[in-house]
Amino acid sequence: MSPPHAPGENARGKGQDSSPADTPKGALLIVGVIGAFVLWAHLGSGVQAFRSQVASEPGWDKFSAGYDIQYFGDDGQFVRAVQSGYNLIFYTYKYAPRFTRKKAGDRINACGSCHTAEDIAYAFVNSDRFDPKLGARVSFEDRVMRCYAGAMDGFVPTIYDPAVRDIRLFARAVAHHLQLSDGAIRKAK
Amino acid sequence: MNTFSEKVVKILAVALAGGGLYLLAAYEHGQRESIRRADVVLTPACIEKLARYGLESGEYYQSPYVLQRTGAKLATRGYADDDIRAIKRGCNIIDDTQGKLASDPDRERWNTRRFIRGTHTACRHCHQSVGDKQDAAGNRLVGSLNLGASWTMADMYDRFTGLLLPFELRQMQCYINSSNGYKPNIADDVIRDVTSYSRFLSVALDMKIANRYDEQGIDEIPASATPKQGDDYVRGEAIYRQKCESCHGPQAFGRVDPDGRLVAPAIAGPNAWNMQSRNYFYYVSTILPGFICRNMPLGQENTLPNQECRDIAYYLSNLPRPAGDRQGPIIALRQQVLMKVLPPLLRATGSARGKAAAAKSDSGE
Repeated sequence: MSPPHAPGENARGKGQDSSPADTPKGALLIVGVIGAFVLWAHLGSGVQAFRSQVASEPGWDKFSAGYDIQYFGDDGQFVRAVQSGYNLIFYTYKYAPRFTRKKAGDRINACGSCHTAEDIAYAFVNSDRFDPKLGARVSFEDRVMRCYAGAMDGFVPTIYDPAVRDIRLFARAVAHHLQLSDGAIRKAK
Repeated sequence: MNTFSEKVVKILAVALAGGGLYLLAAYEHGQRESIRRADVVLTPACIEKLARYGLESGEYYQSPYVLQRTGAKLATRGYADDDIRAIKRGCNIIDDTQGKLASDPDRERWNTRRFIRGTHTACRHCHQSVGDKQDAAGNRLVGSLNLGASWTMADMYDRFTGLLLPFELRQMQCYINSSNGYKPNIADDVIRDVTSYSRFLSVALDMKIANRYDEQGIDEIPASATPKQGDDYVRGEAIYRQKCESCHGPQAFGRVDPDGRLVAPAIAGPNAWNMQSRNYFYYVSTILPGFICRNMPLGQENTLPNQECRDIAYYLSNLPRPAGDRQGPIIALRQQVLMKVLPPLLRATGSARGKAAAAKSDSGE
């Protein structure tokens, strides 16, 4: 028969601290934290990132007409993604606040501060190529992610994030309007 | 003191494990980089294809195919040596996915076999002529699953997944369903090299982003494009015996020559695409008939009537094949049992039928 434990001693021996999971209170706390995380992940974290409704920002109608986005339909997932790409490019501070520290008051606060829509389309069709400066082949997504971290003074989204994907789709739509093939060379104005 | 040294040992163990993992990752990274920089030995089909399209490094690229067909001298951005090697590796992966022509498949094909179950599957079985099928006059064929056209049309809404499907994700689906295998990482060289090759094809064929091309995807055949006789298993089997069996074998398990080289891929049984593939008639009833009509039998493309293609597809999809990732364990088990039990039964009944037919013909009936 094993001796009873003295006060302050647990089953693993004297002097060893019990972990939170050893007590019902601790276990409840852990379950509570996990539950709260699941709830947050379900309700709070991704809703905005993955919603299919897109707000119409100033300039979209002109852009849409100018680049014949209607070719892809009046509405639809692709068109909405292109519109979301438009918002991300010209209002980055508003639509990708998770990935940039830039604010509305900053002089350079959006991709559109440095790049035109056509710059981005040409970058897209010239991506997946060797970049001598970096000594590696660089994809369009790599470049976008790098821009968020560098020029936008922020953080790198994952490759699957709509903040990257929608910019690629935006570039595709513009490249289609310009009838670009892969590797198209921009003519000097 | 005792507790202190225990803690030190623990910290050291964790540091050693972390350091070991880091060194392993650095080693693997170095290996990958050395493969990226290694010369690429092309398969015979890729030698022919890439030479025809004039793939060379330089500041500008001009497609001989476009020049010959249209007379237009379209210069696009040229390729660096690293790009050329990626394109070549991508071509090799399409043509010889399992590395049967490679001296070291693990290095030369990024060990693509690890993403594929079975020994038959290669991308070129569906994406024929290394993803760019043409007739003798150099016309691209309708519904021939051209990879260049697939690239230009990538990112569009996909009705099967409900996604704006990127080219990379589509490739991953091919590995999971058409190859009944496993998903590579989106940034894996296996995926990136095939994307590079597909992009090169789109340039060589002068395809514009997001334009529609007839050679992209499948020329689907719905029931409404037939005389509406209904898709018939019995009729399908008879046509299969007549038109397909000589290459794909009596039970559609594919055919391998005595040296172990694949002559025709499996279209049923354990080496074939699974039940979640778009080729599976019960999942999508228009794609496999379209593939058959436009691409089969080899050398006699576009000779089968629509109804016959649907009949063959219906027959094939009733033969046992692996379950897909959405069917669940019960169906998976059923399919495994069927794949074990049915072949010997069909062989027995097939040979009995053959004997009866031979006896019938001997007796002059």
